[in-house]
This record gives sequence, C-alpha cells and structure tokens, in this order.
Amino acid sequence: MNFLRNAMAIAYKDLRSEVRSKDTINASLSFSLVILLLFSFAFDTDSEQVQEISGGLLWIVFAFASSLILGRSFARELTNDCMDALIASPINPAELFFGKAVANFALLLAVELFCLPVFGIFYNVRWAQQFPVLLVVVMLGTWGMTVIGTLFSAMTVNLRLREIMLPTLVYPFIIPVLLGAVQLSKGLIIGEPVGSDNQIWFRVLVAFDLIFTLLAMAFADIVLVG
Amino acid sequence: MRSKLIVTLAVVACLVLAWNIRTIFLHVPDEANQGAIFRILYFHVPSAMTSFCGFFVAMAFSLMYLYKQDLKYDSIAASITEVSLAFAIVTLVTGSIWGRIIWGVWWAWDARLTSYFICILIYSGYLMLRRAVDEPNQRARFSTVLSVLGCADITIVWKSIEWFRTQHPGPVLSVRNGGGMAPGMEAPVYINLIPLLMLCLALILVRTRQEDLRHEVDALRRTAHSF
Amino acid sequence: MDRNFLYLCYGLIAAWMVIFIYVISLALRERSLRQELDRVRKMVDDGERSSRGVNDPRP
Repeated sequence: MNFLRNAMAIAYKDLRSEVRSKDTINASLSFSLVILLLFSFAFDTDSEQVQEISGGLLWIVFAFASSLILGRSFARELTNDCMDALIASPINPAELFFGKAVANFALLLAVELFCLPVFGIFYNVRWAQQFPVLLVVVMLGTWGMTVIGTLFSAMTVNLRLREIMLPTLVYPFIIPVLLGAVQLSKGLIIGEPVGSDNQIWFRVLVAFDLIFTLLAMAFADIVLVG
Repeated sequence: MRSKLIVTLAVVACLVLAWNIRTIFLHVPDEANQGAIFRILYFHVPSAMTSFCGFFVAMAFSLMYLYKQDLKYDSIAASITEVSLAFAIVTLVTGSIWGRIIWGVWWAWDARLTSYFICILIYSGYLMLRRAVDEPNQRARFSTVLSVLGCADITIVWKSIEWFRTQHPGPVLSVRNGGGMAPGMEAPVYINLIPLLMLCLALILVRTRQEDLRHEVDALRRTAHSF
Repeated sequence: MDRNFLYLCYGLIAAWMVIFIYVISLALRERSLRQELDRVRKMVDDGERSSRGVNDPRP
C-alpha cells in the first residue's frame, strides 16, 4: 500500500504540474494534429485504403506524440536540482519510476483520446464501432510505450544527446507493442470483432506490458541511483 | 599471451572454414527445390546462432558487472555485443540475398526478419548509448539495463517462428523439431558453427584488448590533468 | 541454376566483406588508441618531469 501511495503521490505531482503549465500536453496535441495533417498529403484520404491502414496511421501518431511527453518526464526535474531531491527523498526508485510512468500514461492516453475523434473526422473513419475493446487495446499499447519510454527517459536525462538518444532507443523497443496494437486496431476500427487469428496479439501486448513493467521497476534503482 | 591466443584462434578458424567451404561446395548436393543458393544456409544459420549466443552471453557478463562492480565484465560485455552485432548484420545480408532468389524480393516484412532487424537496431542503440555516456560506471549500468531488455526482445524473435504466420521457412533443423533436412546436409551447419564461434572469440579478444587500452588512456589522462 | 550459383557467390562475398570491414575498423581503432596512449604517456612523463623541477638530473 505504501508503494502505491508513494507512486501515486509522484504521479499526482506530475499531473498537477502539467495541468497548471499545460506545456507538454499542448505541444503533444499540436504535434499530433500536424502529423494527421501531413498524412493527408501522403495518400488519397477518400479511398478504401484508408480504412485498411487506419490502425497503422493512428499508432504512428500516438508513437510520435509519446516522444514529446516521455522526453519531458524526467527533463522537467533537472531545473533547481529537483532530480537530486527526488532521489534523496524517502521514496524508493521503483516508486518514483512507477509514479512517473502512471503520469505519462495518463497524459498520453488523454492525447490519444483527443486524437481518435479528430482522426475519425479527418479520414472519415468510424472508429467507435467497437470502442470498449479499442479502448482496452489503446490502454495496453499505451502502457507498453510508457513503461519503456519512462525508463529510457530516466536513462537519457543527463546525456548531452538526450533529444537524439531517447527516440533512437525507445522506438525499436516498442515495435512489438506497436505491431500488436496496429494489428488489433486495424480490425476494430473497421468494425470487425477480434478473431481467433488476432487473439495472439492480445497475449503479446499483455505479456510485453507485464514483462517490461517488472524489468523496468527492477532496473529503476540502477538507472536512477546506481 | 592474449595476442598468441587471438592469432591461434583466427588461423584455426580460417583453416576449418576453408575445409568446410570445400566440403560444402564439393560434397553436399544441391537442395531439390532451392538449388545452389541453399548453401548460403551454412553461413546464414551459424551467423545467426553466433549472434544470438553472443547477445545472451553479453547479458550474462553485464549482470556479472552488476554483481561484482568490476568494469572488466562491462568491457567484455560491450566487446561481445559489438562482435555479435557484426555477425547479426552478416545474417541479415546473407538472408536477404537468399530471399532475392527464393522469394524474388530483397526484403520481406515477415515476423522473423522484422524482429531480427529490431534486434540490430536495439544493439546499435546500445553502442550509441555507450558513446554518449562519459562516466564508466554509469555507462556500465545503462549498458546492463539495455542488454537485459534487448535479450527480452530477442526472446520474441526466437519464438516468432512459432507464434506468427511467417514467410520465413519453418524449423528445419532437427534440434527445433523440424527434421526437414537430410542428415548429411544438416551436419555442415553445426560444423561451420565451430569456426565462426572461434572467429567471434578472436574478435572479442581483440575488442576487449581495445577496451583495456581505452581504460589505460583514461587513467593516464586523469593523472596528466592532475599535474 | 547459374543465377543461383552467382547469387550464392554474391552472398558469401557480402558476408565476408562485412566481417572484413569490421576487422579493418578494429585495426584502425587499435592504431588510433595506441597513438593516443603514447601521446598521453608522453604528457604524463612531461608532467612528472616538470613537477620534479628543472634541475633534477633524473630522466
């Protein structure tokens, strides 16, 4: 219980800070809209093809949006030595990591839930046909991206090439998550139920989330403290 | 002593490889459906096995560093990772050339190939991260984390042939319950693995020696700056 | 069949080229490391000599 309480304290701190400043979420939302705009130049938005590739497009938008949110996650603590204060505080690194991950997850989910209707409008995609299942897929995929991104954000925060290193490290790791989420989203967006062929992707997402959450929490101490 | 070992390993590896190439070209018949291109398997599969083993052994050495807090384990882990990455690139290149003949394309985005390409990207990121971190202990810790997470991803690569529908051939080696190859044709895969492992070990020893030189340069530089 | 054999040769040449290029890069890296080591050793020697003093007869 102490673990959850401390982690939620960190998450609440980050979310409250973000709600007050709205820096990261505004930037992330704007960036998502720009990407949606750029996609409209890449292919014919009226064609049937859009329905087929909508899952992939959506998750590319989410992946790029996540880079801004995850990059700010630990970078915001650099000013006024807040990072040192957090590490020296009584909360243990795993709690700090988990709290940060929960905050990033909430922010990223908010951006994604904003992007979904905008995507539907711009590309004439009826994404809400199987919304509960789609929401589960979005949450599983988002958690997978968040967990990896938060860990690497902690790792790269003090590096001189932080802005380059974070996407370079994160994107190859989250590809299995993106793969599973895209395969599932593709069918759900066009109104098909999840068939037996696609059940494997749910298992991939759940397994990925579980394995990498445990590994990330185990390594939080090593990354943050040493 | 290390130099002698490197030279011995390299020479023996080259001799065994030369003998194996002779056997592969003169004694192993063409495969019924694939023809001569099938012989690339004798380098493609051992390279893949070498690189996979290398990544896992590097993870073990990284974890040894965490346990013992001795930077020599980190040096060994980094060396093994770099050499394994070279062998992974060999695997992709030979696989791509095989695919050009058999599938008609240089590349196909099936699960096994894509996952293998992801491994190469992950370990390229590992090497880039090492260059970006100046403090040796921090570099070693971050490398350990990346190595363990990378190996978890490799597990997905290994299992992908069973989990996903794929264009890549199913298991054919008898150790993977395939048994699709004639016994006389399967043996050279394992026989060729030995010289590739020896070559890999020789390169790792060279690379580790360079890491030791780097540490010596850093230590002397600190001494020089203290005057 | 000839095309098969040709591509087999391309494949083997490509594989060994990758290893060869890596070995060359290792050799170049070792050479530059040794040069750097010699340079830093000289810096340390010069530093030691200057800290001992100008009139010290020791080499």
